[in-house]
Amino acid sequence: MNTKTVHSVINAGKSYQYIDNGEPMRGGMKDVYFSPDKSYVVAFYRDDQDFSSRERLRKIVTEYYNSFFNREGGHYYKDLYCWPTDMVELDKKVGLIVPCYNQNFFFKKGYASNDLIKGKEKEGKWFASPKFRNKQFALRLDEAELGNWLSYFQICVNIARGVKRLHAAGLAHSDLSYKNVLVDPVSKSAAIIDIDGLVVPGLFPPDVIGTADFIAPEVLATKHLEVKDANRKLPSRLTDLHALAVMIYMYLLYRHPLKGGKVHDLDTEKDDLLSMGEKALFIEHPQDTSNRPKLNQLNPKELPWADVTKLPYTITGPYLKELFDQAFITGLHQPNNRPPAEMWEQALLKTTDLMQPCSNAACEQKWYVFDNTMSPKCPFCGTPHKGTLPVLDLYYEFKPTVWKPENHRLMVYHNQYLFQWHANRNIIRNERLTPEQKVPVGYFTFHQNKWVLVNQQLTTLKDLTEDREIPPGTMVELTDGKKLLLSREEGGRVVVITMANK
Amino acid sequence: MRRLPVYFLLDTSGSMYGEPIQALNNALSGMVNNLRMDAHALDSLWLSIITFDREVKELVPLTELVSFQLPEITCPQSGPTHTGQGLEYLHGKVVKEVQRGTPTQKGDWRPLLFIFTDGKPSDQLLYREMIPKIKGLNFGAIVGCAAGKAADNEMLKELTETVVHLDTADSATLRQFFKWVSDTIEQGNKSMGTTSQVTLPPPPQEVNLVI
Repeated sequence: MNTKTVHSVINAGKSYQYIDNGEPMRGGMKDVYFSPDKSYVVAFYRDDQDFSSRERLRKIVTEYYNSFFNREGGHYYKDLYCWPTDMVELDKKVGLIVPCYNQNFFFKKGYASNDLIKGKEKEGKWFASPKFRNKQFALRLDEAELGNWLSYFQICVNIARGVKRLHAAGLAHSDLSYKNVLVDPVSKSAAIIDIDGLVVPGLFPPDVIGTADFIAPEVLATKHLEVKDANRKLPSRLTDLHALAVMIYMYLLYRHPLKGGKVHDLDTEKDDLLSMGEKALFIEHPQDTSNRPKLNQLNPKELPWADVTKLPYTITGPYLKELFDQAFITGLHQPNNRPPAEMWEQALLKTTDLMQPCSNAACEQKWYVFDNTMSPKCPFCGTPHKGTLPVLDLYYEFKPTVWKPENHRLMVYHNQYLFQWHANRNIIRNERLTPEQKVPVGYFTFHQNKWVLVNQQLTTLKDLTEDREIPPGTMVELTDGKKLLLSREEGGRVVVITMANK
Repeated sequence: MRRLPVYFLLDTSGSMYGEPIQALNNALSGMVNNLRMDAHALDSLWLSIITFDREVKELVPLTELVSFQLPEITCPQSGPTHTGQGLEYLHGKVVKEVQRGTPTQKGDWRPLLFIFTDGKPSDQLLYREMIPKIKGLNFGAIVGCAAGKAADNEMLKELTETVVHLDTADSATLRQFFKWVSDTIEQGNKSMGTTSQVTLPPPPQEVNLVI
């Protein structure tokens, strides 16, 4: 054991210690050492950093750090990013001080069958690959590590928010990947790491093109050109949006959206470059089916997820389908058409309003998205929904007396809560919600063979069909065709009830 | 689903008898354990072990990492080093096992070859005859490892530019070498630079140990 001391180049007199056992953890560009108490790491760049790169790092640990964390709402982001806090130098090597990840990002159990990866980082790949959840795979993850399908919606919301905030600040991550986004289905959280690659358009160019699986097609297609060539495409906000879409698709469907059966070249390397780059084609393209995965060529341990016929992307619901179409069909080779991070965040959240718990206790996914049919069933285990299912369509007041649908539905299940962001369209469900806004305003239950909404906090709830006020502490029955006014305030919504599965 | 086939061609000639073969067993099992902790490796890696001394043996046929069982590698107390025969056998295996791309099926990734020896080929004629054939197989990388004083770097260099020389074939050195081997295998999963392709990570430093 050899403890070394390094000095900050930003805060005079500040120093850090790390343990050099001669075998640092090796990243793509850096060697990483732990501090003696393991509360932070010192990550040294193996290559010399030029003036502009040093300037960029300096800004990341000072200006950008402050603007992200030392202002109102900054606390939320502390858990979302693993942001470098200081810059050091030793023998001309530049290093960064980076806090260690939260404990929940290390496996408590890991594999179901042994302790080999217990305590290791929860890199995204573990959760994006179908093998590790296949019961026939000897080194599958323990069920306690996997969470359920709803967990991955929350994880994706967090990732989308992390990317949204970076982009709002005019920054691009430039290397979103399995390794750089840790996920934890147990606590339903995600953390974006390796912030030091941040790209500031015009000011600091990227030094990596990304990680395989997540590099945008235009970046791969122009990889052979010189960096200074005007036609060369390098990571940017728009390539982040490709990586984000790929990531969301993978965490919800456990397969890669572009890796199908189409062969572009007999040489593997060339084929890979074309199928992820210039010739990239969505495996579930509705018209061009040439890149559909070939079931007979798949590893059986990748089933059922690799089977796009059995589990098509439409099981993620209508809002996400639209965004996947935009990301992998219209925007795949037209970067400007890719959906921004905030659209992903909102579509994911709206989709959770369509989700139903599966009544099969043994179902591995536990939740599914209502499939818009009159006789819904779980797409994962095939269990049909039992009993009636109230569907609430949300309307807003377009102008006095004219109400328009918002393309937003709420599927009711037993013991589901209603929140302010349902009752009022001016309250947006995002990371800026106050603690008061996160308190439910009512709940739905199946009570004495009837579906009811119990009003807890809606002061102006009214049953429009029966022309009756529903004060807090009372309830209203949900029946087919009934209209409820949730709030009389500005932005208050009307819901129209449909009973499905009658 | 593309596989990444990795072949290990290991010298088990008489000179490996004793501590070196123990160290090799140790280091290999450490490497396999390391790889089993890597989600990417488990997703695509297939391994094969071929040994050569007087005879050539396929100790483990090309097997998916998750099912790979490492047997104890043994060697005779004395005998020649038939590296050439080893390469000849390997050639046949690679041609047969590695899936080439066809118009309807994706091919495997270019295979990797790690060749480990502590001496020099006893069948030089065949060895030199095989070199162009092996090179013609389009390996993603061929890494030669010459361990110990008697190991001949020059012969390996005829096969590949990447030759790592280890002064001793003890446990610590070999473990370090095979750690590097797994880093090399895992290379494809890391961030790629804008300026150039990331190639092999720097090899471990030579270690001089006095025993």
